[in-house]
Amino acid sequence: MRGLQRAVLALGLGLLVSLVVRFLGGDATPPSTGGWRELEGPELR
Amino acid sequence: MSNQRIAVVGAGILGARITRELLGPRAFGRPQEVAITTVSRRPERLSVLRNSFGTEVKMLSDQNGQAQLDADVTTVIVARAAGEQFVVAHEQLLAGRDVVTTSDDPVEVRELLELGPLAESLGRTLVVGAAFAPGLSCLLASHASGLLDRVDEIHVARHGAAGPACAAQRLRALRGTATDWRDGAWVKRPGFSGRELCWFPDPIGARDCYRAALADPMLLVPAFAGVQRVTARLAATRRDRALAPFPVWLPAPAEGGIGAVRVELRGERGGQREWVVYAVLDRPAVAAAATAAVTGLWVATRTAAPGATGLAGLGATQELLGELALRGVRAAVFEGAEGSEGSAQQENQQESDAEAQVLAKKADTSHQE
Repeated sequence: MRGLQRAVLALGLGLLVSLVVRFLGGDATPPSTGGWRELEGPELR
Repeated sequence: MSNQRIAVVGAGILGARITRELLGPRAFGRPQEVAITTVSRRPERLSVLRNSFGTEVKMLSDQNGQAQLDADVTTVIVARAAGEQFVVAHEQLLAGRDVVTTSDDPVEVRELLELGPLAESLGRTLVVGAAFAPGLSCLLASHASGLLDRVDEIHVARHGAAGPACAAQRLRALRGTATDWRDGAWVKRPGFSGRELCWFPDPIGARDCYRAALADPMLLVPAFAGVQRVTARLAATRRDRALAPFPVWLPAPAEGGIGAVRVELRGERGGQREWVVYAVLDRPAVAAAATAAVTGLWVATRTAAPGATGLAGLGATQELLGELALRGVRAAVFEGAEGSEGSAQQENQQESDAEAQVLAKKADTSHQE
C-alpha cells in the first residue's frame, strides 16, 4: 500500500514538473540574419 | 460635395474606426468628397458616435431591422460581426449597391463568394473579406507575387484580434476545422494542429502558429492560378491550446493590442527557388478599418469589375497599399537569408532590430488619436 502511495506521489510530481516545463518553455531560436524593411514609394506605385 | 454616399453598417470597434477613416480629407491623391452614413442596431452606440463625429456623419438607427438607406448610397461597407454579414450584403446587392464585407468567418466568406454570379448579373461589385486577415493578407500576397515568376505556395499567419467580436471569432477559428489548399484540392485539418514558429516584426517576434478555420485560402486560391499550397494559421499560446476544450469565462478586451499579419510566398524566379515574406504590424482594428475604408472609397470612386472577389483579385493592389501607407498602415518585406554565421550576422541582426523598433514605433505613433 505504501509503495503504491509513493508511486502515485512520484507520478503526480512528475506530471506537475512536466506541465511547468511545458508552459514556461524558453525563448525560441532567433533568425540567423535579415530584418524587416518598409515598402517605400516606388514599390507602391 | 459629391453626390455619392457610403454607408457603414455596424458601429462596433471596427465600424466606428471605418467611419473615422472615411472622414479623412483626401483619398488616392484627391479630396475626399463622399458623404457617410453609419447604421447601427444600438441607439446608445449611435449617440456616442454622434458626440464624436457631430454632423459630419448621418446616423441611422436599425433597431427594428428595417432601416432604409438613402437613394444616394452607392456603396455599403458591412462591419457587423462575422456571421451576420451575408444577409446585409445580399440585401444591398439586390438594392443595386456595391458592397464591401469584412467577415473572416470561412463559412460566411464561402457564402459571400457564391453571390458572385448574382453580383455579376446585377453589374455590382462585392468585395469579400476586406479587413486585416483576410484583407491585408490578400493585398500583401498580391504585391509579393509581383516579385516571383511563379507562385507555388502562400502561407498566411496572423497574430492578434480587433474587438470582442473578432476575439470570439479567433477562438472559434482555433477550435474549428482548417481548410488548406494542397495540390489542387481542399484538405480539412483540425484546428490547433500543424504548429509552426512564425517570425513577425518586433515587438511581436516569434510566435507559435496553428491551423485554424480561416478564410484566407478561399480568397487567395481563385486569385492565384496554379498555386499548389495555401495555408492560414493563427498565433496562439500553449495555454490557449490547453484551455481550448473549456468555456471562456473572461470577456475579451474592448480592443486587442498590437497585432500582425505575415504572408510568405514560395515559388520561382529566374529558374531559381525563391521565397518572399511580407508583413504588416499594427493594431488589427486600425489596420482592418483602414483597409475596409480605403477599399470602400476605391469601389465608390472607380469602376471595379462586377462579381465577388477578395482584395487580391480586385486589381487595385498598388493603389490600396499606397493609400494605406499614407494612412499609417505600412507593409514591410523581410530581407535576409538563413544559415549565415559570424559577425556580419550579428551586425545585420542589430540593424534589423533597430529597423523593427522604428517600424513598431511608427505603427504606434501613426494612429495616435
